[in-house]
Amino acid sequence: MTKINYLKEIAESKKPFIIYKTKKGFDLFTDFSKKVILTNKNIQSFINKISKNKLRRKTTDLFIGFFGYEILNNLIGVKIKKQKGLKFPKGIFYKPETKIKLANKLNYKSSKLIKSNKIFKVNLNKNSYEDIFNKFKKKIKSGETYQIKICTKYKNNSKIDALDFFCRLTKSNMAPEAFMIKDKYYSIISCSPENLINKKNDIITTKPIAGTLKKTKKLNKIKALAFFKKNIKESKEHNMIVDMERSDLSRICEAGSVKILKKKIVEEYKDLYHYVSLIGGKLKNNISSLDIIKAMMPGGSVIGCPKISTLNLLNAQEKESRNIYTGSFGYIKYNGDMRFNIIIRSILNYKNNSEISVASGVVIDSNAKHEFNENYIKAKALIDLYK
Amino acid sequence: MIYIIDHKDSFTHNVVHQFENFDDVTCHNYNEINENKLNKSKVIVFSPGPGAPKNYPISSGVYKKFKGKKKIIGICLGFQQILHCEKGEIIEQKKIYHGYQSKIKVTSDNSLFKNNREFNVGRYHSLKLKEPFAAKNFEITMRCAISNVAMAIENNKEKIYGFQFHPESFLTENGNLLIKKILSA
Repeated sequence: MTKINYLKEIAESKKPFIIYKTKKGFDLFTDFSKKVILTNKNIQSFINKISKNKLRRKTTDLFIGFFGYEILNNLIGVKIKKQKGLKFPKGIFYKPETKIKLANKLNYKSSKLIKSNKIFKVNLNKNSYEDIFNKFKKKIKSGETYQIKICTKYKNNSKIDALDFFCRLTKSNMAPEAFMIKDKYYSIISCSPENLINKKNDIITTKPIAGTLKKTKKLNKIKALAFFKKNIKESKEHNMIVDMERSDLSRICEAGSVKILKKKIVEEYKDLYHYVSLIGGKLKNNISSLDIIKAMMPGGSVIGCPKISTLNLLNAQEKESRNIYTGSFGYIKYNGDMRFNIIIRSILNYKNNSEISVASGVVIDSNAKHEFNENYIKAKALIDLYK
Repeated sequence: MIYIIDHKDSFTHNVVHQFENFDDVTCHNYNEINENKLNKSKVIVFSPGPGAPKNYPISSGVYKKFKGKKKIIGICLGFQQILHCEKGEIIEQKKIYHGYQSKIKVTSDNSLFKNNREFNVGRYHSLKLKEPFAAKNFEITMRCAISNVAMAIENNKEKIYGFQFHPESFLTENGNLLIKKILSA
């Protein structure tokens, strides 16, 4: 069985599977022997039990899946009132028995032609976006938040071939934290660029992105860096995220060990430049997986700052569940190592309902029209997959 | 031991690590204070945080109880908390500084720091002290080099110190030195 055909075979087999970007290519996980649907009640014991599993020295000694936004709020004691939405599970993790390495180029063509609905409805129009925007600006003036991200959601009713979407997405927007999940009633397709937790032994790093610039012919990496450095708004947002992530890491790391490993550098992707920093530290003794997750999630760069007060403001405002958006996808190994991203730039398709959520930041000098359009640009790469 | 009162901020643990360079630190949320540990501490630190000092009456209570009995340090909101307790008025400012690096200046001969020295600091504040401000034994000892907004207060008699900027931010030059000097004062 060649690996190229493998994608076709797995799609036709109807088996659930997960694909996650690695440095050189992708890992595909399948043959799930366990599936755990998370609730506010079972999440803590689920996480605590993972490291108690017997090590079999296999590359599948891990649980892989996602935490939704709501369950992560609950985990750190931030309550959300009942919201409208899809009634999608708060989190799902799988125990794979098979892991297959795939090359960077994913080749798959759907055997059946599925026509997906191209028309999307947005849950906030320009005017209501502006109202929320102005309301949050007042909160910034009174110091309740320093930066806050307004989420808009694009929705439609559509059948999709998730693998076909993912393969096309990785061609148009290859991202270091890209992943997809295909299960019976739902699929997630994501080109997330942002790593939230990379933990190996007692070393942990996080790599926040704050600042995105669309590529043009005139730009190069050096010019992009000059743009970010000159742009006071982007610089301030980035600085805030760096200090916030340093603080989140400091909760679980040894004093003096938290360092900015890469300070405000530009990374180049197919269509964009990102302004990123890499921050790391050495974990204190006796820090559990649960401690790490509670300290780092939900990832600050997509929420705003300070985290708790900003989450409360967001949750009082948002009438609709974020579901997976700004949650985290990744894995926890039996030995305690883990890797998690932040779920952004993603499609959730559940019982043939698709949603794409995007957010952009309000700081004191941002402009409502600009940010509203920015949201649309972010969603467009995903909306374009529907044809 | 240094007791840090956290106003549920996303920078507090940077403050914790910074003070851990010099002594043992205990840190709890402002609404979960451990009285026993607070009583045993030598230094109390009021952390940064969202909102205004009037939102945190518990912290004001701690300040009034321990003023003159322990060394007290306030950072950002904590700085405003001290001023608020000393009848200072905390108001919104026109230009808001969040994630901003700016130059400040030592403006007093009575400061622990050398007069006229300038250095870069990280700022995250919507609010500021309304002036004129006067309180017994307190002096404003640092100001923004451009806007002149109050950036530090010192009360060397009762050992009370506050910074409007963030000594723990990566944007602040020599933040550790600043804290070291205050702790040994």
